[in-house]
Amino acid sequence: MTAEIIVVTSGKGGVGKTTTSASLATGLAIAGKKVAVIDFDVGLRNLDLIMGCERRVVYDFVNVVHGEATLKQALIKDKRHENLYVLAASQTRDKDALTQEGVEKVLDGMSEDGFDYVVCDSPAGIEKGAHLAMYFADHAVVVVNPEVSSVRDSDRILGLLASKTRRAERGDGAIKQHLLLTRYNPARVANGDMLSVKDVEEILGIDVVGVIPESEQVLAASNSGVPVILDAESPAGQAYSDTVARILGEERPLRFTDVAKKGFFQRVFGG
Amino acid sequence: MNAKMDTTDACDLRFGQVGIACVRVRRVDAAALCDELERRVRAAPQLFSRAAVVLDLSHLLDLPDDGAVDALLEAVRSAGMLPVGLAYGTSATEALAQRMGLPLIAKFRAAYEPADGGSIAPPAPAPAAPPAPRAAPAPEPILSAPASGQPLGAQRQDSPVRSGQQIYARDRDLVVTGAIANGAEVIADGSIHVYGSLRGRAMAGAQGDLKARIFVSDFRAELVAIAGHYRVFEQIPKDLEGQSVQCWLDGEKLLIAKL
Repeated sequence: MTAEIIVVTSGKGGVGKTTTSASLATGLAIAGKKVAVIDFDVGLRNLDLIMGCERRVVYDFVNVVHGEATLKQALIKDKRHENLYVLAASQTRDKDALTQEGVEKVLDGMSEDGFDYVVCDSPAGIEKGAHLAMYFADHAVVVVNPEVSSVRDSDRILGLLASKTRRAERGDGAIKQHLLLTRYNPARVANGDMLSVKDVEEILGIDVVGVIPESEQVLAASNSGVPVILDAESPAGQAYSDTVARILGEERPLRFTDVAKKGFFQRVFGG
Repeated sequence: MNAKMDTTDACDLRFGQVGIACVRVRRVDAAALCDELERRVRAAPQLFSRAAVVLDLSHLLDLPDDGAVDALLEAVRSAGMLPVGLAYGTSATEALAQRMGLPLIAKFRAAYEPADGGSIAPPAPAPAAPPAPRAAPAPEPILSAPASGQPLGAQRQDSPVRSGQQIYARDRDLVVTGAIANGAEVIADGSIHVYGSLRGRAMAGAQGDLKARIFVSDFRAELVAIAGHYRVFEQIPKDLEGQSVQCWLDGEKLLIAKL
């Protein structure tokens, strides 16, 4: 059995790749899949913090790539979901410590271990780390913020996904591309400060798989090491749940894309 | 601080992609080669004058002797281009390159790919390049004779052209049905027809065809150029933005009008 490999990428930094990787992996695990999430950002390791397992990292991705540890030793089991594992990046090395053969070996090892999904958290940029994160992917989640520079970088990444991946090189059919709009603020869109869902879809020529509203809970969740998808109260958590369901093939309407209507009391008394 | 600097390596050695033109020699005739290249340089000086080129001898039946190759290199130089190496060929080419003290340069990926219309050229070499369309857009040989008799038909591009991608239609028109993003480039030796939005750059008549035109159904371009004459749009004129337009050359002037 082969694991489905999903890369979470964007080109631009700070748009929410790691937040998305953590929530996507957790969401797939909740759906009953056996999931591993790998941090490809060697040298700027973050995923372990967001997943809340930073104190349990002994061996990392680079150790496995170099044969200094086995996959079993390096995979950290999530404390909340027993079918979810984290492979942390090395903080003391740089991206050149990864090799294409080494990454392929790790991903093959995960297929052999019966993983259903491997989520690859890409570093920003389009250099070696980002290239290796996307090279073996079957699906790509392109994270984009509703502003022009992020949209342009995503466009560049979409082009690379269509030409510089193993699927493209072998002609195995295109990578499945999913566009995920994060940090979306409907009020600012209404004011014309932010690009709308429609603007972004029009510029990039593909539909969004989800829209994650800008939300204070995202920061709070990151700081406490709990993927925001587990916060079922927050709009961002619910929007991530919807997104995971759509990636698994379910149809769900977009939520949280309109300005929230004020309730009766708020309208009467102001709010 | 300085003491620390001294311990670092004197340089970095990196591989990267650069755009470079390739002169595919069809017959060993230095004078004819010089004439032909001079004509190209005159037609599009911005593109070809002092352009770095690679000499490709693989289409000759027999590899010419050292003296003949020297003459060919000299012909390229006197035409105003700068030969920087030989294209990869047989082991004989390798030996020749060694004797000449020239590097062997691998052929462009485009040369290996099927001649199918949709092939994607390697990404633009230098994002920081000046706005002038002189970033050696021709990843394929320049020396090919213009279409002889049989019409080539237009090259079609159906998928969107993404930022950083470059599409080149050699010796013919280019028809793009998808969108061309900011930072993407479409180049044709003939005319360019865009049925999606043009947000990037379009360069028609790349080998100097002054009659080439650009037709766009949704105009938001960064730059349009015909035969080396270009216009950049820091701000798209309100009356043209989002409109169907046509661009053509009137003498030295690049004109744009609504269709």
